[in-house]
Amino acid sequence: MLQLVLYNVTNGLIIGAFYVLMALGLSLILNLSNVINFAHGNFLALGGYIAFVMAPYTGFWGALLLSPLVAALFGFIIERVMIRRVYGRDPVYSLLLTFGLAFIIQDVCRYVWGPNGLPLGIPDVMAQPLSANLFFITWYRIFMVAIVIIAVAGLFAFLRFSRVGMRIRAGTLDLDTVAALGVNVRLLRSFNFALGSLLAGLSGVLAAGQIGLNPNMGDDLLMPSFIAIIVGGVGSLTGTLLGGLLIGVAAAVTTVFFPSASEAVIYLIMAVVLLLRPRGLLGEEGMMT
Amino acid sequence: MAKREVEGAKYAVAEINGKGGILGRQVELLVEDSANDVGTGVQKTRKLIDRDQVDVILGDVNSGIAYAMSQVTNEKKVFHIVPGGHTDPITGTDCKWNVFRICNTTSMDAAAITPELVKKFGKKWFFITPDYAYGHTLQDAFIKNLKKAGGTYEGDMLPINTSDFSATLIKAKAYQPNVLLNNMGGLAQIDCMKQFTQFGMGKSMGLGGALFELESIKSVPADAQTGWWVMEWWWNQPNVPHVADFVAGMRKATGKTPSARHWFGYVGVHSVRLGAEKAKSLAGPKLSVAMEGLELPPDVALQPGKTFYRAGDHELMPNIFVGEVHPPKGNPDDVFTVSALVPGEQAAGTVEDTGCKMTHPAA
Repeated sequence: MLQLVLYNVTNGLIIGAFYVLMALGLSLILNLSNVINFAHGNFLALGGYIAFVMAPYTGFWGALLLSPLVAALFGFIIERVMIRRVYGRDPVYSLLLTFGLAFIIQDVCRYVWGPNGLPLGIPDVMAQPLSANLFFITWYRIFMVAIVIIAVAGLFAFLRFSRVGMRIRAGTLDLDTVAALGVNVRLLRSFNFALGSLLAGLSGVLAAGQIGLNPNMGDDLLMPSFIAIIVGGVGSLTGTLLGGLLIGVAAAVTTVFFPSASEAVIYLIMAVVLLLRPRGLLGEEGMMT
Repeated sequence: MAKREVEGAKYAVAEINGKGGILGRQVELLVEDSANDVGTGVQKTRKLIDRDQVDVILGDVNSGIAYAMSQVTNEKKVFHIVPGGHTDPITGTDCKWNVFRICNTTSMDAAAITPELVKKFGKKWFFITPDYAYGHTLQDAFIKNLKKAGGTYEGDMLPINTSDFSATLIKAKAYQPNVLLNNMGGLAQIDCMKQFTQFGMGKSMGLGGALFELESIKSVPADAQTGWWVMEWWWNQPNVPHVADFVAGMRKATGKTPSARHWFGYVGVHSVRLGAEKAKSLAGPKLSVAMEGLELPPDVALQPGKTFYRAGDHELMPNIFVGEVHPPKGNPDDVFTVSALVPGEQAAGTVEDTGCKMTHPAA
C-alpha cells in the first residue's frame, strides 16, 4: 500500500506540474489585466491543433517550438481586437466575453478538425516507460516535467530580471502608477496576454502528445487551473505553483482510496482553503511573489 | 442522436422517399440537438411533438437523455426508437409500450464478450468504469457474468470526463489482473487506451471491454488499437448479401465507411417504415403492436441470421460481433477481426431476466 501511495504522490506531482503550466498563464492574465480568461483552455486546444497541422512538416520538435508562438500571436490579436474593449469595466464583462470566445474557438476547432479525437504523434522513444517498475513514468512525462520546470524558471526569471517583466510585476500592484510613469500599458497588457496564451499553447502541445486532441480538451483542464490559482492565492505566481502541485497530488492519492471522488477532492481543498485562509495559501492581494 | 446515427437515418430517408415514402407520404427528418443535456433533450422532445407534430421520435445517444425522453413520448403516446443509448432499464425494468431499442443493452454486450475474455486471458479482472448509469449497468453485467465463471475482480469508478488515468492504471498494475476492462466511453476511453499503451501495460495483462467503436479506434495511435471488444455491427462481412451495397452507398453519401452508429440510424428509420406498412398507420399504439416480433429483412438487417424486435421487451435481437481490434490491415477501416458472432437472444437472456413487464394502453 505504501508503495502504491508513493507511486501516486510521484504521479500526482507530474500531473500537478502540468496544471501549473496551464494555471501560470491564466494567473498572469488575471493578475495584470483583471481578466478571468474562460477561453484559456481553448487556447490550449488551439495550441495542440496547430501542432497537429505543423507536425507533418516540422516534426514534433518543430511543432513544439512554433505552435506556442502561433498561439501567442493569436492571443495578442484577440487581446487587441476584443479583450481590451472591456478593460475598466466590471469583471463580469470580460468573463462573459471570454466565455463566448471559448465556445467560438471550440466550435471552430470542431468544424475544422471534427468532433472525434485525433492523435499527435510523439517520437517513439519518448512513449516508452522508464522501467518495468516505474512503468507510469514514461520518457514523455519526464520531458513534460522538464519543459514545465524550464518554462516556470524562465517565466520567473523573466518577471524578476527583465525590464518588461518588472513592469508586469509593477502593473500587477498598481497599473495606474505604472502608466503615469510613461509605460505603454496598452502594449504591456497585449504582451502579457500573449505570454499567457503562449503558456496555454505550450500546455496544449504537451497535452496532445499524451492524450491526443479533441475540441473539448481544454475544458477539463481549465477548472483545475482556476482552483490552483485560488488555492495558491490570486496574485501569487509561487502560490499558483504550489496550488497546482497540491491538487495534482491530492487527486492522484484520492484515486487510490476513493476513485470516484478524485475530481471532487480538488473542490474540497479549495473550499477548505477559502474557509481557513480566504486569500489562498500564499496570496497577498496585488502581490506577485 | 450521434452525428453518424443522423447520417445513417438520412441515408435511409433518401432510400425510402425514392420509393414513394411511408404510406404514400414523403418522410421528413427534423434534427434537434439535445446538447448532451437531459433538460434540453426533454424540452426538444416536447417541441418536436407539440409544435412540429412529429409521428415518431428517435434518440438519444446518451442513455440518461434517452430515458428522460421516453417519459415524454410515453406520456404523449408517440412511437419512440432509441437507436444508441445502451443502459439496460430502457428495455428492462423501465420498459414502455411505445419504446423500442436498436443498440444492445450493456448486459448483452457484457454477456457476449465475457467468455472470450475468460478463455483468452483468465478470470482475474480490473475494471475502469465511468461513474454514471451506463457504466454502472455495464460493470454490474460484467461482474454477474464473471462471477458465473468463478472470477474475481477489482475496479475504479471514475468521473465521466476523466482524461488522466495514470493513478488508476498504477492501481490496476498493483492488482495484477489477467485483463483490464476499459468501460469508459468516447474520449475518456481513448485517453485511457493511450495511457495503457504508453505505460507498456499490454505486456503484463490483456485488454478488452464492451464497446470500442470504429470512430474511437481510428482516434488512437496504431499501438493503442488493440484488445478484445464487441462491435454492434461491422462493415466488413464479405459473404453477407446487401452489406457491400450499403457500405458503398454510405461511402458515396458521406465519404465514410459506415460504423455501427450509421447502422443504428439506418435501421431506426427503416424499422418505422416496416412497422407502419404492417400497421397501416403511424399512430403510436398501432405501430408499437406491429413492431413486436417484427423481423428485419436482409437488406435492412445487413447481417446473417434472424434479426427481430423481441415482443417482450422491445429490444432488437441482432448478432453481436466479438473480436479483436488491431492496426489497419491495408484498408484504414479494417481495424477489427470478427472471431465470433453471438446471437443477440443468447446474450440477452430471457425477458424475465431483464425485469421488463410490458403493458400496453387500453385500446
